[in-house]
Amino acid sequence: MAEEIKTELSAEEIWTEEAGEKRSIGVIHIVITALLIGIGFVVGAFGSISFPLGFGVNFFWTGIVVQQVGAIWFGAWGVIAGAIFPFFSNAIAGTPFYVSLAYLPANAIQAFLPAWAFRRFKLDPRMKSGKDYLFLFLAMVVSSIIGALWSVLVVLKGFNLLTADSVPLFIWGWFGGNVVAGVVFNFILLRALSAVVIRTTAFVKKWWA
Amino acid sequence: MNKTLLGYVPNESPIYAVHPFVKLFFLLIVSLFPMFVTAPDWNIGLMFVIIIFMWISRVNMKTLKIYVPVAISMGTIIFISYTVLGGTHPEFELLARVWGINFYWERVRDALVVYFRILPMIFTMVFFLSTSRERDIIVAMRSVKVPFVITYVFAMALRSAGMVLEDFQIVRQAEQARGFDPTGKSLPYKIRQYVMYMIPLFALSLRRSEEFTNALVARGYAFTGEFSKVKRADYILTHYSYKYFDYIFIALIGIAFIALLIFRYGFGYFLVEQSWLMRILHGAVS
Amino acid sequence: MSNVIEINDYSWKYVNTRTPAIEGINLTVEEGNFVGIIGPNGAGKTTLAYSIDGLIPGQYNGIKKGTVEVFGTEVEDYAKGELQQLVGVVFSDPEAQFTAMTVEDELVFGMENIGLTLPEIQERLDWVTELTELSHLLMKPPYEISGGQKQRVALAAVLAMRPKILVLDEPTSMLDPVSRGRIFEVLAKLKAEENNTIIVIEHSLENLIPLADQMVLMADGSILLQDETQAFFQQSKLLLDKGLYPPGAMHFFHELKMKNYYQGKYPLTVAEGIDLLREIKGS
Repeated sequence: MAEEIKTELSAEEIWTEEAGEKRSIGVIHIVITALLIGIGFVVGAFGSISFPLGFGVNFFWTGIVVQQVGAIWFGAWGVIAGAIFPFFSNAIAGTPFYVSLAYLPANAIQAFLPAWAFRRFKLDPRMKSGKDYLFLFLAMVVSSIIGALWSVLVVLKGFNLLTADSVPLFIWGWFGGNVVAGVVFNFILLRALSAVVIRTTAFVKKWWA
Repeated sequence: MNKTLLGYVPNESPIYAVHPFVKLFFLLIVSLFPMFVTAPDWNIGLMFVIIIFMWISRVNMKTLKIYVPVAISMGTIIFISYTVLGGTHPEFELLARVWGINFYWERVRDALVVYFRILPMIFTMVFFLSTSRERDIIVAMRSVKVPFVITYVFAMALRSAGMVLEDFQIVRQAEQARGFDPTGKSLPYKIRQYVMYMIPLFALSLRRSEEFTNALVARGYAFTGEFSKVKRADYILTHYSYKYFDYIFIALIGIAFIALLIFRYGFGYFLVEQSWLMRILHGAVS
Repeated sequence: MSNVIEINDYSWKYVNTRTPAIEGINLTVEEGNFVGIIGPNGAGKTTLAYSIDGLIPGQYNGIKKGTVEVFGTEVEDYAKGELQQLVGVVFSDPEAQFTAMTVEDELVFGMENIGLTLPEIQERLDWVTELTELSHLLMKPPYEISGGQKQRVALAAVLAMRPKILVLDEPTSMLDPVSRGRIFEVLAKLKAEENNTIIVIEHSLENLIPLADQMVLMADGSILLQDETQAFFQQSKLLLDKGLYPPGAMHFFHELKMKNYYQGKYPLTVAEGIDLLREIKGS
């Protein structure tokens, strides 16, 4: 039979559509988006309440895992969810409505960059090589730097919530809170579950399907 | 008692007479008020108004307790940000110098201004969360014709958040049944604990997503194609209708906002320089 | 009676699995029939149910051979959402299939999806809540009611869409005997009053047998036996070989037959068994 089983997919194959393979947007992607928002809501609120620095900035923000791993697995749906859920998790943790709303671009970029790196450089989400670790780490660092700069300089300064002298503390807080939590959880979660996720219909090879 | 997003509100609460859209409108508009007001007097006044609304709505005020640590931590951070990390400013009025740190009146004043801007925003959010059920939010969104897919994603997200919390309890009990006890353990141990929770939580949720998708498809829900364009009857909205007082509330909130903008930018009201509270405080500390 | 389901040489293999979940099966179901499908775990029963509702291949990746026709049309040829108006599926885990915040919203969701008007929705809502005795639970969250009530909500939500074919995949596997009985009461009403074609995948034979017109035995992805209920259960040895224990009365008469104390047909229910014993005693 033509359906000879491939027991081990290569990283290249994970992100490449096979000849004749049909992938389309389905209800599962809507469900996944909602699910990630829901998980992120709980996990993110937990981080915001447990390790607060103020205004939704935390020393250890567990929500980053949902943001980045979700986008690596589920592409644009993960990015959408990753941008939206902090709005709710921050709200429940006591961050004002419009401050939370203004964090949206920072959260979107934090979700997008690692997902883009995996697709662009054909990295293996099962974290099989040093290259996978290195690139994910770099993506986490760069995305968190951008996120921290946006949030602190544009949002918190824009809302006049911080003085110029306290800006570095908040930038480091945001950056460190994301990177440390990401290092703790992202690698482990990707290693543990990617092998299963890449074989589901929900897995997104390109950006939407 | 009816379960709201943040606790319970009795069945007899008058808040149920108000259309859900009015509550959402209140959140969206009243949250903006403090952004145009620098005088803490007005913002404190707004907090009192919201507390009165909560009391009228028979919200269990104990739910506010979970925000006490948030309010304290936020206040501390703001205070430190504006004083300890506030820099050296010879042009400001020095109140005290402790361990080489200058405490300026202008910085203390600004910290208070920011803090009392943040608090009413939080109060508005808490009022909304503690008086709204999931269904209210859906109704509010549907009543202003937000596309069904967005409303429904929102509803599913709320539901999955609830499921994650339940799953979390199950996973925690399972870990504990196997002798996992984080009490009094080190931070690395506790972090390992979160890792142990996170993996099964994700795995459970992913499995559920497949079952849930099947259920949606089996109920004829289509995201793309002809059937996604079906005109929905919005049966849920038949249980809700706008009463005359809903229109009055919407008008009052809207007028209050416009009045705020006119008085703020037309006549220079609501500025910190006019705050009698700040004048009293300044007199007390200088 | 016309055939509403015709399955010919149908095989389905999920991607990344070694063996097909279903291999070369043929099945025909007549309109208005009540069909019971039994078999051990991993027999391919759920895959068959999903194939009839178009969830396979729609929601799953895999390799399909043969045809699955519903009302004369291949399931893949139906537009998205169209087949679900004809075939309703109730899954085994009621909680996993809830889509709304209240029982009422849950019941209405499918009706809204297929574009019913408000009066139509109201009419069907009244009908289905009376049929399944759920009127008093309409405003409750579906997650906060009992297991039996949950499954009745799941069933009612599908019934409200008035599908011509109803497929129930182990609808009582998570329920206690009383709740199980109530689900089958609803099915009995449907069989008596509506002209639905009902397919039930079930391990609980006591409830299934009195209603089923036809029975199907599946194992290892194949159909091993398909016959009218009375004739089907005369093959007790095959059922026992496959690890399926027939209901008590039937099992008792099977044991009698094995010991050459009895040579006739097996009774399907306890009542039939009592009648049979009376006959034997009287003769």
